[in-house]
Amino acid sequence: MNFQRVLTVAHKDLVEVVRNKQAMFPMLVIPVGLAVMIPFGIIVMGSDPTMPTSAFGLSGLIDQLPKGILPPDLSESQKMVYAFTVYFMAPVFLLIPSMSATVIGSSSFVGEKERRTIEGLLYTPVTDRELVLAKIIASLVPAIVITWGSFGAYVFIVDTFASPVIGEHYFPTANWYALMFLVVPLLAFLTVALIVAVSGRATSSQGAQGVSFLVVMPMILLTMGQTTGIMLFSTTVALVFAAVLVVVDVVVFYAVAGIFNRERILTKLL
Amino acid sequence: MTSTVSPVTPVIENTHELVISATDLSKRFGSYQAISHVSMQVRRGQAFGLLGPNGAGKTTTVRLLNHVISPDNGEVLLFGEKMTAHRADRLRTRIGVQTDTNVYENLTARENLMFWARLYGLASRERKARVDEVLDIMGLAHRARAQAGSFSKGMRQKLAVGRAILHRPELLFLDEPTTGLDPQASAELISHLEDMVHSFNTTLVMCTHQLAGLADLCKDVGFLVGGRMEASGPVEKLVAERWPGHHVRISLGAESDELLSRARTHLQDESAGISCEIKADRTLHLELPDESFTEGVIASLVAAQFPIRSVVPVTYSIKDLYFDIASTTGEVAA
Ligand SMILES: Nc1ncnc2c1ncn2[C@@H]1O[C@H](COP(=O)(O)OP(=O)(O)OP(=O)(O)O)[C@@H](O)[C@H]1O
Ligand SMILES: [Mg+2]
Repeated sequence: MNFQRVLTVAHKDLVEVVRNKQAMFPMLVIPVGLAVMIPFGIIVMGSDPTMPTSAFGLSGLIDQLPKGILPPDLSESQKMVYAFTVYFMAPVFLLIPSMSATVIGSSSFVGEKERRTIEGLLYTPVTDRELVLAKIIASLVPAIVITWGSFGAYVFIVDTFASPVIGEHYFPTANWYALMFLVVPLLAFLTVALIVAVSGRATSSQGAQGVSFLVVMPMILLTMGQTTGIMLFSTTVALVFAAVLVVVDVVVFYAVAGIFNRERILTKLL
Repeated sequence: MTSTVSPVTPVIENTHELVISATDLSKRFGSYQAISHVSMQVRRGQAFGLLGPNGAGKTTTVRLLNHVISPDNGEVLLFGEKMTAHRADRLRTRIGVQTDTNVYENLTARENLMFWARLYGLASRERKARVDEVLDIMGLAHRARAQAGSFSKGMRQKLAVGRAILHRPELLFLDEPTTGLDPQASAELISHLEDMVHSFNTTLVMCTHQLAGLADLCKDVGFLVGGRMEASGPVEKLVAERWPGHHVRISLGAESDELLSRARTHLQDESAGISCEIKADRTLHLELPDESFTEGVIASLVAAQFPIRSVVPVTYSIKDLYFDIASTTGEVAA
């Protein structure tokens, strides 16, 4: 594997993504909506003691949380704010990288096919594996940057509006660090690898996006369900989960690079 | 043949080395037989013109030779080696290919070339200078900072050709490189290619429909028709085989049928080994065993008091070969 070539292709793709304003816009708007607007609304309204928490259907969920994971001595409305910011928002931050990665991943790979630039690339010394890895990186980096950016904004919102309600700077908690810096990148890698596999067959980026969502979303939802369940309790479990993801990522990468087929890509295009 | 050859300094000594050796290639797309039993050999420093009507299989042949699509049958050796997955990246460093004019539209001309320069592993010191040089060669220097999406058809073509020659490949494939270029740019490109072939011993395979002047660059050609290599070899040899002997065209002072056929009969009775035909433009077309027969023919016509207006030697070109082959194989290009 020649990493200079991998980085060259990935860098080229990133430049193309950044210059494509039309693609960038929805990718920035959706995460901002999810990571900023929702928590802002819930915190501001939820912390208002005159608003019954049941109005958001959250009090039921709070009752279902295992005993002892919420700090003791919190009032009902404090509990709600804490549970919401620390636990219920976690899955949203698994959704953001997967969505961004799906959008960028399907356009970076199929985009080369749509614009017919892929043939020129296939004559270069770039190997199949390098090409697959480069395309994964090129989708992964923006997805992670967007997620971390949204996370930054989220930390700011929580610290500004929720910390005063709880009475201390409690966020981010340890499980969030594990989530952001281990689980998010690994999960995004898996998402993108699957998208590259799918888009090897698709001929339009819209088609690839559609199919990608079908392939990726059930996986994401499943993971989200599992992850939130696990991540709620301990950072150790989150680390183990991340370790499992590393293995899955490596296996999936080699499988995807293995089924990557230059000829099919070229002839299906023509 | 081992590959001790570095990508930037081609070996000059071994000019008989076979750079391309393809045997019995066949390729089918679905039920359509695109390529049938094509063999071709190209030596180092040779410029090979691949000719044939639209859909004949030229581009497909280039793809097969480069192993981006694999043949159903047959084998390709490049630099004496078979292109396998683990050798491909090493072999491809020595090869430059242009099959289309698709460039990265969001990148500038310079960025496009810089991308290619990195992919082919040009050293970072050399990269910038070489990219500038190629921009200059291709006449794109003044638009180097413009996004390729804003380029005209010919400019994209220049960029695509530029990226194929960027890393000074030992073996260069160009698929209709002059299409869309203005006459001056086209002439400049051809002269640059001649320079690459003669001074740097670059091996060139060029698909083209531009037959005029082609023989100056490509001494060897192959004619693909309907996926078959109908003829291939040195242009002179192919012409000599198809039209042996020496050919002259004679026009007489008067163009009456009677005079023309009398002259033909006279010539055929007079000397053996001469064939004479009356052409549609009312000239006599003579095939002589060789050039030395010309004087005798003229003398004999003069002696018999035929009024000779002109005697012009007829030479056959690639174009004549092209039409001849296309028509005999029943696939005349319109
Ligand atoms: N991927 C493919 N699927 C199906 N048919 C194909 C494919 N690629 C090429 N063909 C067919 O193979 C034949 C040869 O195509 P090719 O592009 O090699 O022709 P060409 O000689 O380069 O023509 P042109 O002068 O127009 O460029 C054509 O009939 C074409 O339709
Ligand atoms: Mg073609």
